[in-house]
Amino acid sequence: MKKECIAMLLAGGQGSRLYVLTENMAKPAVPFGGKFRIIDFPLSNCANSGIDTIGVLTQYRPLELNRYIGNGQPWDLDRADGGVHILPPYQSAGGATWFKGTANAIYQNIGFVDMYEPDYVLILSGDHIYKMDYAALLAHHKHTHADCTIAVMEVPWDEASRFGIMNVDSEDTITEFEEKPKEPKSNLASMGIYIFTWKKLREYLIADEKDPASSNDFGKNIIPAMLGAGEKLSAYRFEGYWKDVGTLDSLWDANMDMLAQGSGLNLLDKDWPIYARVESEPPAYLDETAEVAHSVITRGTVVEGGVHNSVLSQCCTVAEGAQVEYSILMPGAVVERGAKVSYAILGERARVGENARVGASPEDTPPEDWGITVVGPEAEVKAGHVLGADRMLNREGKETVR
Amino acid sequence: MNGLHGIIFSYEQEPGLRELVEHRMPASVPFGGRYRVVDFMLSNLHAAGITDVGVVLHGNYQSLLDHLGNGKTWDMARKYGGLRLLPPFADNRTYRGGVFRGKLEALAGVRSYLEDIRQDHVVLSDSDLIINLPLADVLSAHLERGADITAVCTASGAFVDNATYFTLAPDGSITQVWCAPTAPRGHRSLELYVLSRELLLSLVDECAAQEKYSFRRDVLAGMCGKLRLQSYVWDGYAAQLRSVREYYERSMELLRPSIRAELFAPARPILAKEDDEASSYLAPGSHVKNSLIADGCTIEGSVENCILFPGVTVERGVELRDAILFKGTRVRDGVTLRHVITDKYVEVLPGRTLIGHESYPIVVSKGSIV
Repeated sequence: MKKECIAMLLAGGQGSRLYVLTENMAKPAVPFGGKFRIIDFPLSNCANSGIDTIGVLTQYRPLELNRYIGNGQPWDLDRADGGVHILPPYQSAGGATWFKGTANAIYQNIGFVDMYEPDYVLILSGDHIYKMDYAALLAHHKHTHADCTIAVMEVPWDEASRFGIMNVDSEDTITEFEEKPKEPKSNLASMGIYIFTWKKLREYLIADEKDPASSNDFGKNIIPAMLGAGEKLSAYRFEGYWKDVGTLDSLWDANMDMLAQGSGLNLLDKDWPIYARVESEPPAYLDETAEVAHSVITRGTVVEGGVHNSVLSQCCTVAEGAQVEYSILMPGAVVERGAKVSYAILGERARVGENARVGASPEDTPPEDWGITVVGPEAEVKAGHVLGADRMLNREGKETVR
Repeated sequence: MNGLHGIIFSYEQEPGLRELVEHRMPASVPFGGRYRVVDFMLSNLHAAGITDVGVVLHGNYQSLLDHLGNGKTWDMARKYGGLRLLPPFADNRTYRGGVFRGKLEALAGVRSYLEDIRQDHVVLSDSDLIINLPLADVLSAHLERGADITAVCTASGAFVDNATYFTLAPDGSITQVWCAPTAPRGHRSLELYVLSRELLLSLVDECAAQEKYSFRRDVLAGMCGKLRLQSYVWDGYAAQLRSVREYYERSMELLRPSIRAELFAPARPILAKEDDEASSYLAPGSHVKNSLIADGCTIEGSVENCILFPGVTVERGVELRDAILFKGTRVRDGVTLRHVITDKYVEVLPGRTLIGHESYPIVVSKGSIV
C-alpha cells in the first residue's frame, strides 16, 4: 500500500572503531545508556514521528541485530501494512554483491522502496544518539519544495573540520558541501540524516550505479551530484542533543552525558520515549553495603559494592567490596569481590575476577598512557589480574593496546 | 501439545486489601516492584508450556483488561486458543446480576467455553496467588498417583483470611477439608487444583443441577470420600494476598536474596508488561540501602528497606523507610514516610510526614495528593 514517507536505516556498518565491542555484532546493536541499544534511537524516533515503515539494511554480523529487532513489537512497528523489515544483501540473477556504499545499499533495495510507492524517503544511520521529530523534518522538506533536505546542526568552529560541512544561503538552501574541510566556511555539520523526494533519489541512484568511478556513497557522490546538477537541497537546523557514537571515546562520553544535567540527553523524559527490547527481570536490588551515587542502574542488577559516576545496564552484578567508577557496564557484566573498575567499558557478560584491576583514573596515569579501558563481550579478566589504562581484552583473552 | 489448560478466577473482591482494590481487582494489584499479581500465575502457566488460558472475570475488571491485553506478554496471543477473557454473560440464570457465589457457579456461566477445551487436564487457580511453581511437575504427580483432583498446598502455618485447610494422610491424600476455619488447621490450600476436563464438566453439571456452587465446600469437602483427592505440597515461597498486612509482609520478604532467587528463578521467569521506562538515576548524595528499584526512578533522598515501582521520584531530603511506592509516585522535598504504601501517581507534598506501623501500614489511594 502507498505510504507518504518510509525510512531506510543503514545498519550494516562494522563499527571497526569500536574494536572488541563489535567483534561479533554490528554497531547499531551495541548497548547504550543502560537499557537501550544504539538502534533504539532511530527506531523510536520513527515510531514517535508516525513513520511506520522502515527498511533496516544489514550486512556486518547481523545475527544479534536481527534477533533484537525481531517483529518490531517493542517499537510498535509490528504492523499489518508496513512495519520494520530487515533487508540483507541478496543474490540476483547477475550474481551476489555486498553493499558497496551507503547509496548502493539503497540502490539494491529500490524494489523494496517501490513496493510502498512513497513520495519521500528518509535515510537514517544506526550510530547516532539523538531524539528528533522526523515529521518536522518532512514538513520542512515539503514546505521548501526541496529535492533533498539534510539535517544539520551547529558545531563548535574548532571542530567543524571533522564533519561534512554545509554552506548555505540566507534561506538555508545548500550552496556547497565540503567533506571535512581544512578551512570551514560554515559550522553547519551534516548529521547524516536525509529526506529525499523518492523520484529524484531514484534517478540519481541509478545514474550513480552506472558510474564505475563512484564509491556509491551519499556524502561523497549523491549529494555532490545533486548539487552540481542544480537540484534544490535544503538544510534543516536541528537543536538538541546529538552524538555520533562511532568511537570508544564518544561512546563512553555519550553514556556519561546521561549523568550530566546540562548535557541535553534526558532519557527519563516521558514526552519522547525511547523504546527497547529488554528481558523481563525483577527490579534492581541494592543491598545494605551498596554505595551508589550519581549513577544509572537498570532492572535485574544487584549492587553490593560501590558505584560512582557510572552507567549500569540490566542484570549487572557489583559484588561486595568491589568499586566501579566512571565506567559503563553493559548487560550482564559482573564485577567480583574486591575488584576495581575505573574509566572502563565492560562489554555484555564480561567478567572482572576477584581483586582484579581494570582501567585507571587519569590523575594516576601519565596523559600519554591514559585512555578508556575496554573488556570485550564475554571476556574475562582473571582474578587479581591488572588490565591497565588504554588497554583492551577480547573474549579469547587477547590483550591489546588501543 | 501440552496436556494442560489454565483457568484463572478473577471475580472475588478482597475487602481486606482496602485502598489497594478501590479501583481494581486483586489480580491487577501491583506487586514486587514491577509486576501485577496475575503476572505470577500467567508466567507459571507460560513456563509449563501452557498457551490456552481462560480468565473468568467479574467486578471492576477494567484495570485487569488493560493489563492482560491480548496476552502477548505471556506468549498467549495465539492464532488458536491463547488467552481468552471470560466476562460475565448477561444470563440471569447463572449469575443473577450479582457476584458469583463460588467457582462452580462461575464455571457454569462459561460452560460452552469448557466444552471447547482442547487439553485433557485443567488447572484452576485464584488470581491472588504469588508463586513460582513448576506446574508440569504438578501434572506429573497428578497422573502418577491416579488422582481425581490434585490440590497444591503449603505446610506454612501462617493464617490467611478465608483460607481452605487440608488434613493429609501419610500418603499425601486429603482426608478432611476445612473451609475458612478461624485458626490454621493442617496444610493450607493455595487454591490451585488440577483435574481432568471430563471430571470438571461433570462436576459443573452435577452441582448446577443441585444448586451447589462452591468448589471447596461442595466438591472438596462434600465429595472427600468419593473422589481421590491428592495433595501436592509446595514448601517454597507462596503468598495469598487477602489483607494489606499480608500484602505488606509478603512484599518486604522480597528484600531477602533467597526469596527473590526462588520467586524469580531464571528457569521460570516472571513476565510482565514492558513499562518502557529508561534506567533509574541515583543522584549524588542519594542513599539507597536494602531496596528494590524498578526502572525510570529518580532518587535524590534516602531510601532504606523500600520497594520502588517504575517512574518514582524521590526528592532531596526525603527519608523513606519500609515503604512501598507504586508507579509514578512523587515524594517531594523533606518528606518522611515509614510503613506506607502509596498507590499509583500519588504525590506527597514537601515536608509531610506519614508514619504507619508494620501491623497497619498506611495505604494512600491512587492519584491522591497528600
